[in-house]
Amino acid sequence: MEGKYSTDPEWASVTPIDLDDGSSSGAMPLATIAYPAEYLEATSYLRAVMAANEMSERALNLTKDVISMNPAHYTVWIYRAKILFALDKDLNEELSWLNDVSLTYLKNYQIWYVTITRQPPRTESQERKDQENRRLENRPNDSKRHHRQVLLSSKAHFPTFPPKEADFLMEMFAQDSKNYHVWTYRHWLVRHFKLWDQPRELEDVEFLLKADVRNNSAWNHRYMLRFGPRDTSLPDAGMVNAGDLSTAPTEKGRLSVVDEDLVDGELKFAQEAILRAPENRSPWWYARGVLRAAGRGLGEWEGFCGGFVSEGAVKSSHAVEWLADVFAERVGKEGEAVRMLTMLKEQFDPIRKNYWDYRIRKLDQAVA
Amino acid sequence: MTGPNPTFNTERHVKYYLRCLKTFLPSAYTSNDSNRMLLAYLTLSGLDVLGVLQSKTTPEERQGYIDWLYHCQVPSGGFRGFPGTDFGPGKRNKDNEAWDPANVPATFFALVNLLILGDDLSRVKRRECLQWLPKVQRADGSFGELVGPEGSIGGPRDLRYCCCAAGIRYVLRGRSETGLEAVPDIDVLGFISFIEACQTYDGGMAESPFCESHSGHTYCAVSSLDFLRRTSNDLKSLPLLSAGSNQFEALITWLASRQTAQLEEPEEDDDDKQLEVTETGSLDDRVRGLPNIQPPGADTISCAGFNGRCNKYADTCYSFWNGATLIMLDQYSVVDEVRNRRYLLEKTQHLVGGFGKGPGDPPDLLHSYFGMVSLAFQGEAGLSPVDPTMGSSERTVRHLESLSWWQS
Repeated sequence: MEGKYSTDPEWASVTPIDLDDGSSSGAMPLATIAYPAEYLEATSYLRAVMAANEMSERALNLTKDVISMNPAHYTVWIYRAKILFALDKDLNEELSWLNDVSLTYLKNYQIWYVTITRQPPRTESQERKDQENRRLENRPNDSKRHHRQVLLSSKAHFPTFPPKEADFLMEMFAQDSKNYHVWTYRHWLVRHFKLWDQPRELEDVEFLLKADVRNNSAWNHRYMLRFGPRDTSLPDAGMVNAGDLSTAPTEKGRLSVVDEDLVDGELKFAQEAILRAPENRSPWWYARGVLRAAGRGLGEWEGFCGGFVSEGAVKSSHAVEWLADVFAERVGKEGEAVRMLTMLKEQFDPIRKNYWDYRIRKLDQAVA
Repeated sequence: MTGPNPTFNTERHVKYYLRCLKTFLPSAYTSNDSNRMLLAYLTLSGLDVLGVLQSKTTPEERQGYIDWLYHCQVPSGGFRGFPGTDFGPGKRNKDNEAWDPANVPATFFALVNLLILGDDLSRVKRRECLQWLPKVQRADGSFGELVGPEGSIGGPRDLRYCCCAAGIRYVLRGRSETGLEAVPDIDVLGFISFIEACQTYDGGMAESPFCESHSGHTYCAVSSLDFLRRTSNDLKSLPLLSAGSNQFEALITWLASRQTAQLEEPEEDDDDKQLEVTETGSLDDRVRGLPNIQPPGADTISCAGFNGRCNKYADTCYSFWNGATLIMLDQYSVVDEVRNRRYLLEKTQHLVGGFGKGPGDPPDLLHSYFGMVSLAFQGEAGLSPVDPTMGSSERTVRHLESLSWWQS
């Protein structure tokens, strides 16, 4: 078969290795795909250069070609990274290529997604086509993210944080402000380059919360900036712990040194967000996390929550839940807690009826 | 709108899966070439849960599938995700083996696929695979996806790999050490502490410590621990798995909060859902000035699926990720089964068979499988019981645990 590589003099010295799907030895391949001819050809050359462990310009170009057809390929990215370092390539150039493909990918995905969700019933062949498109855009994101991370990890190339990276992230968020991979990557950047107190981090979070106060990813990032461990010897430590987790598990999430002004500021920030959208779960849970970090109890917000709940007039179901939790901890107030939980179960949150019953049963057991 | 008693259209689903098994997937699946082992699992396990794998395939076909799975085994132990990295016989050496590595999720799914097909795993390079496993574990206890150049561990820190690694260990180590003399185990305590560190301030679990809580990763965290405790008597009292502990109760609350009647993005702009607030006056006055909320109308909440993160919309697969986790924690009863069933059958079950991601979406293998298994958890007629941790039929797990080398 005449292909792009088999007719190219640059590749004449290479003997491609065809795909062995096992059928020649009697095996019956599973999840067989109708591969396009270009993919079969490009991957047969990829196997050949990989088998020779070739670190070359042509191999680098070949990886780009394979990535364009199969961005989830789990060794092609690692191979590409190795060649980039071996040939001492300009990593900024690589990043700008990655920016382009990431943004294009996201845009295409969204254009496609909007189209399919707004269309009348489709024929079976259209279904297959849609299914194809969906598959096409399903998972490749984390390989790209990880490749970025591998490049940025190089202290030799990136001794300090390249500020353009934050602009790129905001461009990505403009397309999809809750993209899990992008947030996870941003989180890694904060720890790797110690960006906790960089004004840009908090500014971006606030910008995104202003645009959508329900963006839980942004709330989570804020929590990490404010209360995440900064001990870089433990790059992936979890929630801080004032004591020894094995002896004091309830201390999990509690800081050993608390900046009370910062805590008060965060609680105030959460209250303002709650006033903008009282049924938004994110700031309510953020505030719980803040109080826990400070070693201060939920009771501190009893008055604030009480303002949302009066006979016949409720302004937030989350305030009702908060009060139920406050009363559940207080001896003699269990009845009040049950009243709150019953209100959620019967009026404001019937989908979770079984859960509220679970909570009520636990209180009954505690009292009995 | 559909009728009062939605039905699971068994015949259509069988057709859908058989088409996926016996004909070529369309060329745009090329971008998922490296996930063929996963696609194979979704297909085989789908037919198995539907109870037709034996009747709709011949013994020769099943043997052929088994041979293909072994064709994907790497000589040094473990499995590839697809045959595409294989250079062919005699070409593998120290310099290039990093480009044809065993892959953690692929190895787990290959083993499950073999078990679904009734294989006894006798051709699995058990010792080699278990020797490889600790090499994919990092110092912090987490797992990567593969061993790359110079022994480096490839792939992000990610609970998905942890769960598959724990699954491999459970399947191949079993309850017995027979035949595993001098094969080092993974660092179990480091592994547990990494998983515990992934619980966030809102009670859910994230991909890595301090990332956002996410149902898929929460499933992976809990199934990792469940795999460990299945073969070990001293791990019964892990806080995350013990009713009454703070970690456990926070997790249940978070999981229960994932069920939602928000099924898709509203047509109009979100802005009108945000209140204009005056920034003057006392806090109390401003709270008092807010409008009262009303109980939801019955018609707006007749269907309720699950989301995977706070403030996101429902998605078919999260009925599985959240539901399976609740089963492992023995608290599935907090779920509103009727509304979940209605969501799946009326909103995402597709006319041609299979399930889509959301209302009106075309079916795909992943959502078809997890939508169906969510119904199996709730005892849907015609579906085999499914083991939430293995993600395959209970029959498959019984088969594994009956193998003589596994037990003693």
